[in-house]
Amino acid sequence: MKGWRPSPPLLLLLPAVIVLAAVVMVPLLLSLYSSFTPFRLTRPETFWVFIGARNYVTILTSRDFWIAFARTVVLLTVALNLEMLIGLGLALLVEKASRGQRVLRTIMMFPMMFSPILVGFQFKFMFNDNIGLVNNALQALGLTDRAIPWLIDGNLAFIAILTAEIWSSTSVFAILILAGLLAMPREPVEAARVDGCTPWQTFRYVTWPFIMPFAFIAMTIRSLDVARAYDIVKIMTDGGPAGRTELVWTLVARTAYGDARMGMANAMAYFSILLSILFTVYFYRKLAAARTQIAAEW
Amino acid sequence: MDQNSLHRAGNKALRIVHGIGLFLAMLVICLPGIWIVLSSLRPTVEIMAKPPVWIPQQLSLDAYVAMFSGVGKGGIPVLDYFRNSLIISVTSTLIAIAIGMAGGYAFARYRFHAKSAMFLGLMLTRTVPGIALSLPLFFVFARLGIIDTHFGLILVYVALNVPFTIWLIDGFFRQVPKDLAEAAQIDGCTRWQAFWQVEFPLAGPGIASAGIFAFLTSWNEFALASQLTRSINSKTLPVGLLDYTAEFTIDWRGMCALAVVMVIPALTLTFIVQKHLVGGLTSGAVKG
Repeated sequence: MKGWRPSPPLLLLLPAVIVLAAVVMVPLLLSLYSSFTPFRLTRPETFWVFIGARNYVTILTSRDFWIAFARTVVLLTVALNLEMLIGLGLALLVEKASRGQRVLRTIMMFPMMFSPILVGFQFKFMFNDNIGLVNNALQALGLTDRAIPWLIDGNLAFIAILTAEIWSSTSVFAILILAGLLAMPREPVEAARVDGCTPWQTFRYVTWPFIMPFAFIAMTIRSLDVARAYDIVKIMTDGGPAGRTELVWTLVARTAYGDARMGMANAMAYFSILLSILFTVYFYRKLAAARTQIAAEW
Repeated sequence: MDQNSLHRAGNKALRIVHGIGLFLAMLVICLPGIWIVLSSLRPTVEIMAKPPVWIPQQLSLDAYVAMFSGVGKGGIPVLDYFRNSLIISVTSTLIAIAIGMAGGYAFARYRFHAKSAMFLGLMLTRTVPGIALSLPLFFVFARLGIIDTHFGLILVYVALNVPFTIWLIDGFFRQVPKDLAEAAQIDGCTRWQAFWQVEFPLAGPGIASAGIFAFLTSWNEFALASQLTRSINSKTLPVGLLDYTAEFTIDWRGMCALAVVMVIPALTLTFIVQKHLVGGLTSGAVKG
């Protein structure tokens, strides 16, 4: 091997690769293996029993799993779209403000500092049917005379979770889209206005293409940890009532630590990992496409 | 009314609508936080009151006093949790920054085989949901005997933070013109010297904000910490929050107080970095 020297970028990336391999890749391979065993934490010897794809068959034929999986996809789709729309609205509002933009931007980042578990407790507190702010306010305003069972009814609980999720993550979109708006050159907008575009046309054909890559950056960042929602749901309802808000992640946690069925839980976990990867790769490719488009225009 | 004043009135109406919209949006963002601070200062009787007491009759720091007065006197070992959180977050951040700087520099300054695939691959390790990762880690850590230790959690958080740190630092190094380091090298610096004396100081504020972002991730993480910690040896603040929940009841006031304690450091740090953070995220991603 004398005379051969590894290239500098390889050397520089080596520590990152080693750490990620040790803490993420190797454990994941281990869990891939154990997803083919009936491994239970309480009975270590089961780790060496190979049962083929039986765990996967059980999961794929399980109604509860598919419902949880579908609910997770729906939650993510609705949440990401709403976050994007509200974030865009917020960014436009702040950009139009003539004074105090710095302060507004700082306030806008506020939810980002809250730990997801804190967001969960906070909204559990506010949506509490008896002492929560939401019910108290609704009753005080005379909009309803009985306590709305926010976290007890399945559908309402879903809405409550969605609200918490949106509150905590919209700022990522708002901040990045605002950055896009501020970085945008002024001339095209003015030119469009002189040419007689309506405000909507100006936005749709001039502003939006400019800020689109920024929206995709936000989407990519967000999709990197969509599983944050686990913390929120775990605290607010823990999958209840009667499994009505069960997501893939809470199901995995329950199967693994509640029932101690590690093998089964690992098989489920692989589906949740797949889901996260799909979301990320999708937005990353969108980002790459938007980037080449921008590079061509700027 | 002539055309001119009609237009002016329309503009004014628009401005008012805009102001109201902005105010409402900011209110919604701030309200949960304000409510938590307020609730931590009110006696439990007032929080539980039916019909609700809107205007606080008496404010006190009782919840904080109780919290810090230690186990057995209505408190929780909050100082231990705080210390654990601080040790784990700071150490893992420093290591993640060191590794991230090397990686980010490689992505910003070199061309190499399968660069973008490599980048995506690193990012994908970050997408593994904490709860999914906790299953094998729990097993491995139990075997190695590093469950409920600072070391175990630090190791995990370093891995958690490295991909995103690389993304951010890559962006900050891109903002530093390549010519500067090259000029320094022509003037007789080695590449190593050029990096530390030219590029590093220029990218410094950005790297600091990447560090703070990593710190916040570790500070706030729950899914992994809740499985890999057991006792006051290594429990962090987010896990400690659960101490305020009993089977069917939650001590809302105490929880709100702990929440405030948890958020204040995060709040302060974010204010410091907010400007750089956005710059790093966007420049890395838009300029390719």
